Amino acid sequence: MLAYIARRILSTIPVMLVVAFVVFSMLILSPGDPAAVIAGDQATPEDVERIRAALGLDRPFFVQFAEFLWRLVNFDLGTSIFTNLPVTHMIAQRIEPTVALMVLTILFSVTIAVPMGVIAAWKAGSWIDRAVMVFAVLGFSVPVFVIGYLLAYIFALELDWLPVQGYTPIARGFWPFLENLILPTIALGSVYIALIARITRATMLEVLAQDYIRTAKAKGLGTRPILFLHALKNAAVPISTVVGIGIALLIGGAVVTESVFAIPGLGRLTVDAILRRDYPVIQGVVLLFSFVYVLVNLMIDLLYTVFDPRIRY
Amino acid sequence: MRRRTFMGTAAATTVALAAPRVHGQATAARTLRIVPQANLTSLDPVWTTATITRTHSFLVYDTILAVDSNFQVKPQLADGWQIEDDGRTYIFTLRDGQRFHNGEPVRAQDCVASIKRWWARDGFGQEIAKRHDSIEALDDKRFRIKLQRPFSHLLSAIAKPNASPCFVMPESVANTDPFTAITSFVGSGPYRFLPDEWNPGSRVAYAKFDGYVPRQEPPDWTAGGKLANAERMEWHIITDPATAGAALQSGEVDFWELPLHDLLPVLARNRNIEVVNRDPIGTVGMMRLNHLHPPFDNPEIRRALLLAVNQEDYLKAVVGDDPSMFSTSYSYWSNGSPMHTEAGADALKVRSIERARAALQSAGYSGQKVVQLHASDFPTIAAQSQVTADLLRRLGMNLEFVATDWGTVVQRRASREPSDRGGWNVFHTTWAGPDWFDPAAAVGMRTNGLNAWFGWPTSEKIEALRDAWFDAPNLAEQKRIATEIQVEAFQVVPHVPLGHFLSPSAMRRNVTGLIKSPVVLFYNMAKTA
Repeated sequence: MLAYIARRILSTIPVMLVVAFVVFSMLILSPGDPAAVIAGDQATPEDVERIRAALGLDRPFFVQFAEFLWRLVNFDLGTSIFTNLPVTHMIAQRIEPTVALMVLTILFSVTIAVPMGVIAAWKAGSWIDRAVMVFAVLGFSVPVFVIGYLLAYIFALELDWLPVQGYTPIARGFWPFLENLILPTIALGSVYIALIARITRATMLEVLAQDYIRTAKAKGLGTRPILFLHALKNAAVPISTVVGIGIALLIGGAVVTESVFAIPGLGRLTVDAILRRDYPVIQGVVLLFSFVYVLVNLMIDLLYTVFDPRIRY
Repeated sequence: MRRRTFMGTAAATTVALAAPRVHGQATAARTLRIVPQANLTSLDPVWTTATITRTHSFLVYDTILAVDSNFQVKPQLADGWQIEDDGRTYIFTLRDGQRFHNGEPVRAQDCVASIKRWWARDGFGQEIAKRHDSIEALDDKRFRIKLQRPFSHLLSAIAKPNASPCFVMPESVANTDPFTAITSFVGSGPYRFLPDEWNPGSRVAYAKFDGYVPRQEPPDWTAGGKLANAERMEWHIITDPATAGAALQSGEVDFWELPLHDLLPVLARNRNIEVVNRDPIGTVGMMRLNHLHPPFDNPEIRRALLLAVNQEDYLKAVVGDDPSMFSTSYSYWSNGSPMHTEAGADALKVRSIERARAALQSAGYSGQKVVQLHASDFPTIAAQSQVTADLLRRLGMNLEFVATDWGTVVQRRASREPSDRGGWNVFHTTWAGPDWFDPAAAVGMRTNGLNAWFGWPTSEKIEALRDAWFDAPNLAEQKRIATEIQVEAFQVVPHVPLGHFLSPSAMRRNVTGLIKSPVVLFYNMAKTA
């Protein structure tokens, strides 16, 4: 097992290198010029050229890429073109809100969606099943920002129960921290709940049709042990796979959710950096997201062994 | 437990629980929370001409001179100035008691270094640089600028509030290369920037600078006393307009600098919110044409376009039908500027598609492609750009509408290539009113060909008139020359001016002290509890 983990971690290095090359190439080759954005409307084309030269953006592609790689192997993500702050510092400033939002969303979604899917499968064809499916379709169909605006309007503006926007670090108290994240978590969780509920229902339907479930029923086992001890454990592998794949969905959703609720997270940092063409920041954040994604997939693979002892690495 | 003991304990607990909240409320009352128009990413007002950086700089830095609402130059850091040697020598004396945020006194040497860095980049500043003989500190309180010949705009240039004003930094900071961003943010303005609390894209914080000695005159544009009436100021960067509006309505923020025009009616209906017009001059729209390539390399085609433009269409596209929110301006010079005139602007008042079509035909337009760059992420610019797209189609021009983001537009507009090799033919942008006050401010009015602003118009006549304007001895002569420049400009058509629209701010009714000015000034503002 340890050898497998070590191999998988080592295999992330070429993956990250490919990601680094693709991201770097896409940024350099795509339209947009940070020097022109910095110079502003008042600047002449000559001013823009001089700023570009001062930033080193006029150098050949491979010179810039080599410098980027060299920094990377030294664990240096560079400095923001605009703010002059180290990219690692900017990421550190933004990582807590995003991690908090994603962890809360995963916890909230799994807690809601898995029982929903299990019950829908158990009551397949009933009104409960149909209600869960309607909810799942809505969760997929209504964009996150629409749900966000609706929640903010009802719970922040009309009822005045929760703040409209912002983020309070957990160090300043758990309730202020939670208060700011309730609405974004529900908004972001809506798609995730829909995804997990649907896959849970589908997998559970398959498992519930197995012979051993019929045997368990015949032996007089209660509904709850059958559903949650026997069926759900055997359905857990595909569900955990979808939870893992859904992390990518969450990263995309966090960009929108953080904008709607003005949460200073990595999603907004990415969008701001893309709009300004702040190359080092974009590269740093995309590399981080890729690394997290690779890591989450590794964790999911390892989780398989917990759910299914037949799986060995 | 006896009832009296229970009541006493309960009361004490309530007070104890309430205490942090009361304290929190008191702190909140002293903190002014502002949603600025954009994200503050660069802190160097020389390195970038971004409007948000200028707004930040007016809090943190001071200027040597300033301008009031009568366009009069007033001393700010300076106590006054003397003009000697028939206008060839200016000696400035600084006010007593001015200090930087690190406690060091503001010296003449700091002013000299700051002026030198500023004039290396600013267009108006470069006019002084071209004409100066020497600039030096005479002692800690006085500095002198010697000119090769009299230059009546020297004070206006150093005082100018728009584009890149001349802010004073410590000498060690001001010695930074003007094309490299500064890394120390010590100023001598009424507020101290708090770098440890800066989270770009989210939060910027300032604290009142207790050592600031304001002028005694009332504030008037950038002149007069700069009072730090709020103990602390926080900028909350909220990029989503709906969220910013909701935050203002719920009282989570106190002031929103630039609400979306569509949201103004909603905000105005809220009894706790006041919609105020902060800028008496407004924003100027521009349709910029590329003079290097067909079809707009042909002056007759550019002039034909003037016949079709209806400024009201453009202004209503941005602000809606309320006529109090916009004003047409058949002039290259801003409304309110002493240079403003409608001379030569007859073509812009025609507003006839048919006449424009006929003029295009007689100018020889034969279906060449027109590549229009459209920045869809700037609502005001995008609205005006869409009107142009419709206009060009109605004129029968072969339009290629390139919808993209502003970051791409600012790169592609720098390309001098033909449109089929990554260039362009037309794009839109907007400017602050003072940017079109006169030939010194209007960088877009330069017509020195490949050295001119994007679009690269060429007119030796306008350039010669511009030089003459700088040497004009008095306002009457300046006006005369500005009128001549405009008449010629309507022949050359460097761009099509699209009138002025207002961009009001919205604030909670307990906010006081907003200075109405064409540049955004947040000092002097405060809020009652």
